This record gives sequence, C-alpha cells and structure tokens, in this order.
Amino acid sequence: MPSSISNFKERLRLPRLFFRKPSREEQIHGGPPLEFERPIPPAPWRGIAVLVTIVVIAATAVWELYCRSLGYGPTLKDNEDLWTLRRRVVEPESIVVIGDSRAWFDVDLDELQKGLTKRPIQLAMGGSSAWPVLADLANNKNFHGTIICSVVPYLFFAPPGSPPMDHAEKGVKRFHNQTPAQRVSEYLAMPLEEHVAFLKPNDLTLVALLNELPIPNRPGALVPPRFPPYFQTEDRERRARMWEKCAEPGSELAKQIQQIWIPLFTPPPPPTYIPKDVFFAKMKEGIQKRFADVTAAVEKIRSRGGRIVFVRFPHTGGLKELEDRITPREKTWDPLLKMTGAPGIYYSDFPELSGFNCPEWSHLSAGDSVEFSKRLVPHLRDALALPSLPTR
Amino acid sequence: MNLSMLGFFKYGNFLLENFQWLLARIGILYQPPHLNILLPVGISFYTFHSLSYTLDIYRGVLRPTKSLRDFILAVSFFPQLVAGPIVRAGDFLPQLLHPPRLKNGQFLWGLALMVLGLFQKIVLADTMLSGSADRVFGYPGPLVALDSWAGVLAFAGQIFFDFAGYSLCAIGAALTLGFHLKDNFRFPYAAIGFSDFWRRWHISLSTFLRDYLYIPLGGNQVRPFRAALNLIIVMFLGGLWHGAAWTFVVWGLLHGSYLVIERVFRVSFEHKPWASTLPVRVLAGFATYAAVCIAWVFFRASNFTLASRMLGGMFGQHPNGDAILSTRELLQIGTVTAGVIAMHWAMRDNTFETAVMHLPPWTIAAIGSAMICAIVLTQGSSNAFIYFQF
Repeated sequence: MPSSISNFKERLRLPRLFFRKPSREEQIHGGPPLEFERPIPPAPWRGIAVLVTIVVIAATAVWELYCRSLGYGPTLKDNEDLWTLRRRVVEPESIVVIGDSRAWFDVDLDELQKGLTKRPIQLAMGGSSAWPVLADLANNKNFHGTIICSVVPYLFFAPPGSPPMDHAEKGVKRFHNQTPAQRVSEYLAMPLEEHVAFLKPNDLTLVALLNELPIPNRPGALVPPRFPPYFQTEDRERRARMWEKCAEPGSELAKQIQQIWIPLFTPPPPPTYIPKDVFFAKMKEGIQKRFADVTAAVEKIRSRGGRIVFVRFPHTGGLKELEDRITPREKTWDPLLKMTGAPGIYYSDFPELSGFNCPEWSHLSAGDSVEFSKRLVPHLRDALALPSLPTR
Repeated sequence: MNLSMLGFFKYGNFLLENFQWLLARIGILYQPPHLNILLPVGISFYTFHSLSYTLDIYRGVLRPTKSLRDFILAVSFFPQLVAGPIVRAGDFLPQLLHPPRLKNGQFLWGLALMVLGLFQKIVLADTMLSGSADRVFGYPGPLVALDSWAGVLAFAGQIFFDFAGYSLCAIGAALTLGFHLKDNFRFPYAAIGFSDFWRRWHISLSTFLRDYLYIPLGGNQVRPFRAALNLIIVMFLGGLWHGAAWTFVVWGLLHGSYLVIERVFRVSFEHKPWASTLPVRVLAGFATYAAVCIAWVFFRASNFTLASRMLGGMFGQHPNGDAILSTRELLQIGTVTAGVIAMHWAMRDNTFETAVMHLPPWTIAAIGSAMICAIVLTQGSSNAFIYFQF
C-alpha cells in the first residue's frame, strides 16, 4: 500500500471501515482479476441481422398498406408537443381559439383570417376544458389579444383531476417545461407522421388494438369509457378536419362514434368512498369556484385591453338531448355570460348558425366547418366590437 | 465530499422538511425556505461511480489513474450514467488501458441486447403493465382484493421490465462501443429467499452496498445481533438511496427485516433434509415473490395513507371497495406475471447468453423480428425510465 494512504489513514484515525488489505491478486497492478468480459454467444449474427431487417421492413410495409386499405391516411398526431409549437406562436395581440374539440373541428382558420384580418392560432384540444389555457393566458401579463373560447359545459366545468382538466393542463405544462429533446423529437416526428398512415395513437397502437378485443368487464367495474376512433386529420397549424368516411351520411363510423359520446358525456356515479351529499356539495362548490375563477381571469385579460368571446358550437341528436339535460343552458351558459360580462354566441340563437348537421352529433364536417366559420365571422366581429371591414 | 453533494441535491429539502416537522412537535414553528434545487441528471449513479473510485484507491485495490480523460469517462460513461447499472471504477478503468476492440459478433450482440431491453421497457413495462399500475396506485378510494393485488403485481412486473430493460440497453450500448458491463439482474423473481433475491436484483447496487458498507461494518463475522443490525442499516440506506421519502425507507427496512428473518430461518432449518426438497424450494420461492410484492407497495405508493389502503385491499379489508380494472387489463397482468415468473424459474440457474447459444439462428431472428415489430406497433408512446428519477 502506498505510504501516503497509510499516513492519511493514520491521521484520520478512521474506524476499521475499508481496512481489509486486498490480496496481491486483487490489486490493479496485476490487472486481470478485476477485468471482466461478457460472453458473446456464437451465432451467425450478420445473417440474423439481415434477416431481421428484411422481416421488419416487410412487416411494417404490409401493415402500412393494410392500414391504408382500411382508409387511414397520414396525418399529424395531436399531442402536447404539437400544441406547444402553436402556443409558442402566440404574441401579445394574437387571436387565439381555445376550448374543446368543437372549436378544433368547426373553426376554419382561413375564413376567420378573412373576417378578422388576422390569422387565429388554434389552441383548442379534443376532450379538454378551456379553463387551464384561459387561466394561463390570463396570467401572461403580456397577452392582450383576443380569445375565442368554446364552451361545452360538461368539459368547461370539469373538476380538477378529471380527464378534461388533465388533458389541458398537460399541454400548458408542456409549453412551460418543454425540454429541447421533446422539441426536437416533435420536429423529427412531424415529417414521419405526414407520410406514414399507421401512426394513429388512438387506433393502431398495441394498446388500442388490445382494447378492441371484445372482452366483457365485471359487473359494476368502474372502467373508463372508450374514446372515439380516428376520425379527423390535422395539419401543422392544428386545424382539424373530419375524415370524409365519417362525414358520409349515415356512415357506420359516425353511428359508432355517436354511441361512444353517450357514455363519455354521462356523469360517472358518485364515488363510493365519499358520502353522496358531501360529494354533490363539493361538486357544486367546485362549479361555483370555476365561475368565480373564470370571471377573475376574464377581468384580468380585459384590464390589459384584451378581449374574449364565448362560443357554443353546434351539436345535434342524442348528444344535444343529453347535454341539454345534464348541463342546461340556464345553469351554465347564461350565468357564465352574466358573471363574466363577456359576450357570447350560442349557435342556436341565430338561424344562419343553426341547421348544420353534425354527422356524429358533436362536430361539423370539414366542408360545413368552412361555411359555419364564414357565417360565424360577423357575429364574432359584433361580439368583439370590431370596426366594420371596408367594403370593396 | 461525494456524499455531501448527493445529500445536498437529493436530500436537502427532505431533511429541512423533517427538521421543520420535529421542531413543530416540540412547539417551535419554523418555516424553512424551500430550496429550488435542480437535481443533476443521474446524481445517485454518478456519486456511486466516483465513490467507488475513491474507496477502491483508499483500500489499495486500485491505483489512481493518471488520465483525467479516463477518470471522467469512468464516472460519466453515458450508457449507465442516468439509471445505472453502478459500474465500479475497478471494473471499468482497466478496460481503458487499451483501445477497445470489438470481437466478432460483439456489435450485433450489443444491438440485440438493446432490442431486448427496449422490448422489455416499451412493450412489457409501459404497454402491458404501467397503465393498470398507475390507475390502481392513483385511485383515491379503497379497492377490492383482486384489483389491489393486480395493481401490485402490475407494478412488480413494470419495475422489473423497466429497470432490467434499461440495464440491458446500457450493457448493449456499452458492448457496441467495445466496453463490458456486468449483469444487473439475474432472473430475480425466481429467487428462493431474500439474500438470493438481492444476488439477482439490482446486483450492482447490492454488491456495492455489500462491499463498501456491509462488510466494513463487520458483515456476518460479528455477533448475530450486530449482524442483523448491519443488515438493517445497509437496507435502510439502500432504501434512502432510492429517494428522499420515508416510503422508500420503509421499503428498505422491510427488506432488511426480511433478510434478518431469513437468517433466523436458515440457522434453524438449513440442515433439515426437507428444507431442500423441490416443493419447499418452490413454496419458498413464491413466498419470497409475495413478500417482495408487499414491499413494492411502499416503493410505489406516494404516501403511507395510500400504502396502508393498498395493503388493506390486498388482505381483504375492503370487500365493498371498487373494481376499476377491465377484464382485459386483468388478463394482461395475469399473462405477463405468469410469463415472467415461468421464464425466471426456467432460467434461474442459467444465463441469457447460454440460452441464446442453444437457439437455432432462425428462432433468434424470429424472436428479434417479433420484438422490433411490437416496438414499432407501440408508436413510441412510452414513459421515462423509472430509475431516471433516482
């Protein structure tokens, strides 16, 4: 042992920790006893690698062709990173569209740009509440632009911790905390998603395929309802368009999705671990708090010169009946406008905005969304008190 | 010095919070400032890598390297930096004496290990198990026994495939670069007894704690009570190493207690003829697995309320609790759990390399292709490795 180590040990008077003197073989001077080499199983590795590469490429190509034969086409995946890319584009005076999937499907950015003279930024997210994004914009002291906020009361007033809130919060969180790796990953993924059809996270992943197995659940099991299958495309501006196959009148896909909305929009039974009266009191309290929070957020935005308009987009059939029953207008929409003092556009109040058919009860077809947006523009201009456009 | 860095970054807030709690117990209200400490990537592993260098030199096992480049590479070699395995300087530095040379098949075998690791992580841990484990451990109410056990078994499988998968990726990546890292797992769910479990689970940590802590404390060459205390101390610190939370400490202490109890049993029954019969060994193996799963509850639960609710559910205290897993999820958990246990028992006295050596090449190609296709089919919807947080 080198003398410096012995002296050091002596000086510190350490207990007998680490004092075992290593055998001569253990010392690195000899080398080999401390070296280690992993065994490499003898096999024709080059041949195996070539075979695996061929099989994987062939299987992937066959899977891609099969998915295309089912009607799937290449489109961007809607995720927090794509949302963050658009969120980064928001400037202090931008026009932003926030809320749920109805604003995502039903708003045509070209038509709104023509009518509002500025291209809106699409920040609405499928199956999410507008509140987390609204709160984030309200807390951004630089923002004094215009917000077009879709309201589906069942989602808008969803309690904290529920999927609609989680979904929106994930986006906001990603915007504030996105790592360079996540950013680069999104930039690399986009060209791939624009050319490969089988990249459909809700339909064609292993989990989604396993979910499709027709296995009945136990009676009373609190299993979350299914989400609708792929029925939209999305571009880099996050403009969603309904898939033609779903928009066809009386299509099987549309009928299938209609039946998915009903359990998704039906409130789950109260939890068993909280007394019912306590639970309902908490829910009521939560909704009142949401009214108050939204009012405060709207006030903040307005105090900086910003503007906001709430919009109720078309919905039809059994879903409209369900929504009207569980979230009646007089208990949700009307008090929201009254408390916030913000303008609102309820589609059914205007004949030119009514009468659109939602093929799967909740969203407009891509073609109808253009016409609807064109008709929506004058109402938006009125609600936002924008000066009239010069006539040619 | 190494440990103080780890102490500050990883345990600073934990210590402050506990200090505040202690003062509150004696009536002193103290509000410490919350330190916004950014935890450096892989600090637990980095600390242990550099600690092994310092200690091995101190013990005289290793000669100080004269190359700063070699030292930096040894403590921060990228494949194992963020989530292990813990590679001792004595195992790695000698490999730097000469430029790494790839043997025939080494590069492709390294890639094969990475594919297997990714398959374990992406397909088995994240796709088949993590969703169910997250739902069970995130549920705010009591659950029936079936769902509680299913959630715990799902987590037991998830953490194995997640960590063993990462370790294989690290070993494979190192191999492709010409470096050799030791195994970190050896079919742990076929362990018979807890000392056997720790010879198979996170081997790099357990051997590190054995050589640098347990043996210097006296190991088992002291009186039985002191040896038991040594085990408890080592496992207490092993638990704390995983995270700054009392749940991790309880997990460690539970394993320490298991080891002590096993030692008592061993002394009493080891020489009985029936102790080494097959049924007893299998029974002991399943008892070990069940006890390890019970300990996992504390590892996964974010607090003791949740842990106690989970344990209550597992032992039938909530017959009217909720059922939240779909039949499909239960089948997935059951299939993967049965598969992993069967595979570990079949392989328990074998090595992965030997098993591959006996497979015909077309079978290796078929298995490799199926794994890559399954990975492609998941479409990259995976979570971060669990051990990244440590």
